[in-house]
Amino acid sequence: MSEFNKAYFKKLANQIMFDLSDEEIIALQEDFTLLRKQITLLDTIDTENVETMVYPFECATTYIREDVASNVITQTAALQNAPQQEKGQMIVPKVVK
Amino acid sequence: MVFIKDSKGKGSAYIENLLKRAKESQKDLNAVVTFCEVKKQMEEVSTLSHKPLFQVPIFLKDNVSTKGVRTTASSRILDNYVPSFDATVTKKLREAGAIILGKTSMDELGMGGTNLNAYTGRTHNPWDVSRITGGSSGGSAALVAAGIVPIAIGTDTGDSVRKPAAYCGIVGLKPTYGRISRYGIIPYASSMDHVGIFATSVHDAALSLEVLAGRDDKDMTSSFEEVIEYTKHIDSNLQGKRIGIIKNVYDAIKDIEIKRQFDALVFSMKKQGACVEFVEFDKKLMEALLPTYYIIANAEATTNHANLDGVRFGVREAGDNLEAMMINSRTKGFSSEVRKRFVIGSYSLFVDNQEKIFKKAQKVRRLIVEALTDVLKDYDALIASASGSIAPKPDDSVEDKLSDTYLIAENHMLLGNFSGFPSICVPNGFVDSLPIGVSVLTKAFAETTLFDIAKAIEDISALEGNCTEVTP
Repeated sequence: MSEFNKAYFKKLANQIMFDLSDEEIIALQEDFTLLRKQITLLDTIDTENVETMVYPFECATTYIREDVASNVITQTAALQNAPQQEKGQMIVPKVVK
Repeated sequence: MVFIKDSKGKGSAYIENLLKRAKESQKDLNAVVTFCEVKKQMEEVSTLSHKPLFQVPIFLKDNVSTKGVRTTASSRILDNYVPSFDATVTKKLREAGAIILGKTSMDELGMGGTNLNAYTGRTHNPWDVSRITGGSSGGSAALVAAGIVPIAIGTDTGDSVRKPAAYCGIVGLKPTYGRISRYGIIPYASSMDHVGIFATSVHDAALSLEVLAGRDDKDMTSSFEEVIEYTKHIDSNLQGKRIGIIKNVYDAIKDIEIKRQFDALVFSMKKQGACVEFVEFDKKLMEALLPTYYIIANAEATTNHANLDGVRFGVREAGDNLEAMMINSRTKGFSSEVRKRFVIGSYSLFVDNQEKIFKKAQKVRRLIVEALTDVLKDYDALIASASGSIAPKPDDSVEDKLSDTYLIAENHMLLGNFSGFPSICVPNGFVDSLPIGVSVLTKAFAETTLFDIAKAIEDISALEGNCTEVTP
């Protein structure tokens, strides 16, 4: 488990935009020990020439619709949940300094 | 009143009284995140007396979008989120005349099976408030089991309707994948998410499905399959029915009393003319259910919830720059449990791991579903005890997580999520005064058969309408 050190989990978490405390990392290390054991159960199954299953049914339920606007929400509705807004736009901290 | 027919069209005073009861139950159950105003809803349904759910009180799990009503999915990051639209199920329920009393507690973003991990705190089981309801739809289950509403909506990604139904002694239906639109449902894992129904009778679950089922162009996985009037077809006659008992589950259950009551049920089913016999799956596939689920579900969740960052909606935490703001919002917005699952999801999606972990799990999923489909060629339905135990207490020691009891007995209902096949949990007795349930699974879109078998079990157990006064 040496590869699953504190820095590894910090990096994993930061890549998906959050942080972990030291206690949380310890808990994760324990979970990963178990997870790795459970994953070995998958390794005992021969999946040679087996296709991945992405959805339960492979019958088509989607189609290309006409290029007509539908289900449009108003600017007011789009902004009603924005934590910060100004002049009809959502405001975030400056990206370009 | 615990049935739809008894709570239909009873007027404002009745609804207000139920709302009051639900509010009073909070101190014992803590099942509700947000209560709704009912006066305006009563006015809006006033012309719908011919509709199947006219003035029927209902609760929705808090991941079902409700226009103008806070929808948090029991997560801090969505604590201030108010949808600008109704989910399709919300719309259908309103059009059928239902009155939404509130939004119910759940494991945060659907990630859990205990209902201990909700931002508003744990939900309590009405049969014994020291015990869990199960999750992730625990709030909805608790309110139906407490006899406050006849039906409630949940979602089921890995047994999140059926397990709480078993622990709370009620009916929990997960229909076929694509049968009910998921438009407006805050997702967990898209390839396994289903909308489900809690009720105190098979009939009411079937009636609710009639209201909710059907094609919806807003959900790309929604089915074109015809919707049947399920209630008109329910027939509990077991004569000639072929039913398989999942032997792997039966063998993995250690509780003697649960087994004894299951045996008694099987005896009665045989007596009524059913052919009931053991069927056995490759043990390796059954042991792989949980890890396969864990890998796929968490990978999908990690992707699905990338938009929860405090930018366009949700609770924002300050940061010096955009990245810091997002990291702070997501760190404080999600519980440790959810962040842990995201890390696992991200781990299995790493380029180096995709083939050996994520795609491997997707391939194993196919093998499991092929094995299930194969078995169902010879049977109308498969049955098994829904759980290896009664509802546990939060601190009860968990089984060895590599044991058959944990991997198989507690997680076999994942078969319905992997395959998308319909599955229902029906109460079949009590152990130590706490309810236990049986799960039934049939072929895709064979909900009529599902209800037939479930109704037969309900008749045998004589637990139609099962619910309880809250026991503090």
